[in-house]
Amino acid sequence: MAKEKKRKAAEEAVDGDDYIEREDKKPKKQKLILASQIKNKEKRSAVYAKLKHEKRVEKHKKIKARDAASKQALELGEEPPEKMVPRTIENTRELDETVCRPDDEELFAGNDADEFSAVLKQQTAPKVLITTCRFNSSRGPAFIKELLSVIPNAQYYKRGTYELKKIVEYAKNKEFTSIIVVHTNRREPDALLLIGLPDGPTAHFRLSNLVLRKDIKNHGNPTSHEPELVLNNFTTRLGHRVGRMIQSLFPQVPNFRGRRVVTFHNQRDFIFFRHHRYVFEVKEKKEGLKDKKSKASQGKTEKKAIARLQECGPRFTLKLVSLQHGTFDTKGGEFEWVHKADMDTSRRRFFI
Amino acid sequence: MPRTSTVESPGCPPLRALTTDSLGLIKVVEVRGKGGGTPQVVETWGPPDASRSVLATSYADRKKDPVLAVARKNGLIEFLNPLKGDVLTTIKASESGSTDQSASANDLLVGLHFFKSKQEDSSSMLGTLLTCTEKGKVCIRSVGRSDAPSDQSIDSPNEWSVTNGGHVLCSSLDPSENYALFGGKHVELNLWDLNSSKKIWAAKPPRPNNLGISIPTWFTASTFLCKDDHRKIVAGTNQHQVRLYDITSQRRAVISIDFRESPIKAVREDTDGHTVYVGTAIGDLASFDMRTGKMVGCYKGKCCGSIRSIAKHPDLPLIASCGLDSYLRIWDTNKRQLLSAVFLKQHLTSVVIDSHFTAQELEGTKPEEPTSQSEVRDQSDQGGNCDEERSRKSKKKRKDAAGKKEKKMKMHDEEQISGIEDPAEKRLDR
Repeated sequence: MAKEKKRKAAEEAVDGDDYIEREDKKPKKQKLILASQIKNKEKRSAVYAKLKHEKRVEKHKKIKARDAASKQALELGEEPPEKMVPRTIENTRELDETVCRPDDEELFAGNDADEFSAVLKQQTAPKVLITTCRFNSSRGPAFIKELLSVIPNAQYYKRGTYELKKIVEYAKNKEFTSIIVVHTNRREPDALLLIGLPDGPTAHFRLSNLVLRKDIKNHGNPTSHEPELVLNNFTTRLGHRVGRMIQSLFPQVPNFRGRRVVTFHNQRDFIFFRHHRYVFEVKEKKEGLKDKKSKASQGKTEKKAIARLQECGPRFTLKLVSLQHGTFDTKGGEFEWVHKADMDTSRRRFFI
Repeated sequence: MPRTSTVESPGCPPLRALTTDSLGLIKVVEVRGKGGGTPQVVETWGPPDASRSVLATSYADRKKDPVLAVARKNGLIEFLNPLKGDVLTTIKASESGSTDQSASANDLLVGLHFFKSKQEDSSSMLGTLLTCTEKGKVCIRSVGRSDAPSDQSIDSPNEWSVTNGGHVLCSSLDPSENYALFGGKHVELNLWDLNSSKKIWAAKPPRPNNLGISIPTWFTASTFLCKDDHRKIVAGTNQHQVRLYDITSQRRAVISIDFRESPIKAVREDTDGHTVYVGTAIGDLASFDMRTGKMVGCYKGKCCGSIRSIAKHPDLPLIASCGLDSYLRIWDTNKRQLLSAVFLKQHLTSVVIDSHFTAQELEGTKPEEPTSQSEVRDQSDQGGNCDEERSRKSKKKRKDAAGKKEKKMKMHDEEQISGIEDPAEKRLDR
């Protein structure tokens, strides 16, 4: 049977037909041999190479046609045909009913009532306590040093053997507004626990992809000005709450002259942290440089202001594991949001 | 491999639920349409204000003259008409003159129970109310209407203290309204006879285990098991145990079941007298059969926040749960399936189901003001009922028409509702 197939396939190859299709004896059915079903490695790879080449040729043709069409339309003065937008997971994100609306009165009332409103309304200045888990080694101390430079008004206390609930109590006595606990696992900082005080929520993040300042090429050194904070893409209710929590770590009045910016960018439930120094420059740009043919066209110098960024400080990603109502109490506390396995029903569903 | 296909939730039968949340809003969620409707928020009562956050609710689920009592954080107890949302009367939580003002300032209300059956003089009195504060002060008093003349003689409030130390966290009233149950942190379960104001039974903690370690007492939720029997009590503890107590047999727990790893935040009995629904602080909802002590099953429905309150529909096999993840979820108890979920944007504290809800649409008669209750009471029951039914139905009709778009928007806006009790009243329509 198998030999018959191969002989027939070989015949068809000789005939010049495509390997892929062959017609069965029964006229009704038409079997398709996938290239992956060919057992012979050489023949299989040859078929694949041919397929790939064909696809590439087709793609080039399409692109050329599209470019020609748009160029023609421009020359004729018409509108160019619409540019195609690639489909991404963010584009096709599932419609989430928990997304914050701008006209939502309850949202504003909730914001006024939540635990961060005292800091965010500048009634209290943020004061952050940074500590670690009990065993801290390797990259942990370096990370904490950098965190101290990123967050103004932050203090580091050694963990000792205190229980976290006791630490929360002591911090409340000393009037801190939040606690950051950096948890280390296998000599790498692994998790970040953000506890709001006095009775704020506790957010547990998983930390990954940590790059320290010394490992960044051409890094800059941050100054001590208050940074500007950029929070991107925290759209849902949960995201809004987490965003406000992060906002309550930083002072609310940034020093723009310091030209220092801290970014928390949320994409697909991962929060990316970046820390930059920027500088505005005026750049002279000559028009018409792209058109090489017309030498006669004098380049008009157009001045554009652009911002150049220099990265300083650590770079890491966070992912929210759970948000607990009240201060740290995993056993006895109530959870506002916890990730459960049966919540992942779709690749296009995100929660923050 | 996570399931990547979506299963559409089947809709719910006609249902009306009232939820309260931590901003003091009371939202009315209704499901119209036979067999397979989606719940929508039809009304929101109250201004959003955190100081008016609702701590406890009690719903007198009566055909005529239903009353929703709501205890707020600022020390007021409001009585609302659940059909329209107007406040019938407001009283202060700490009323009696003997209590020290400074002591009662921090003493938040933990339990509130409005007596359904005791209605002596209906023209001026709304009913009797039992309140319990965190420090253990229990008070039974009668509540007058706001329009009643103030010189009417009101029974002096009956007060006593349930515990010396510790915080009372849960309280429950048995359906015959003669006995009340209190429990909390370092407060063992106490059963009090309300007519004589005496403690008739107190629980005993379980024996220390073989290492000599005994778990501190911390009851977080409790309820009576049967509606015609005050002798069986089910309580949930902070140490994720569900315990059954029988006051006729012994003071220690008869059955003690360990359920996962989070404190039990809500316990609700079923009308059949042996099933209980248990909700934990991490969002797990499960039902247990108390005759054997075994778990019947868990309710899976992506509930990711602490469940603050569960309500059971008196007639239909439905429960509603609400919690800190701001969703009101309605489940089918036979199949343990999620029927629908509504996003109500706040931390929800409690939910009640209105069991006298009909989705039938009559010719729209204008909703009548329940003028004087005595009139209604004196007249035939039917007359009064019809009026209220009609008022409810026509209200629904109007709300239906206007509310569909609003509902969608409101559903988006729903914030966390801390308590979802579904006072679902479904009637004949199924």
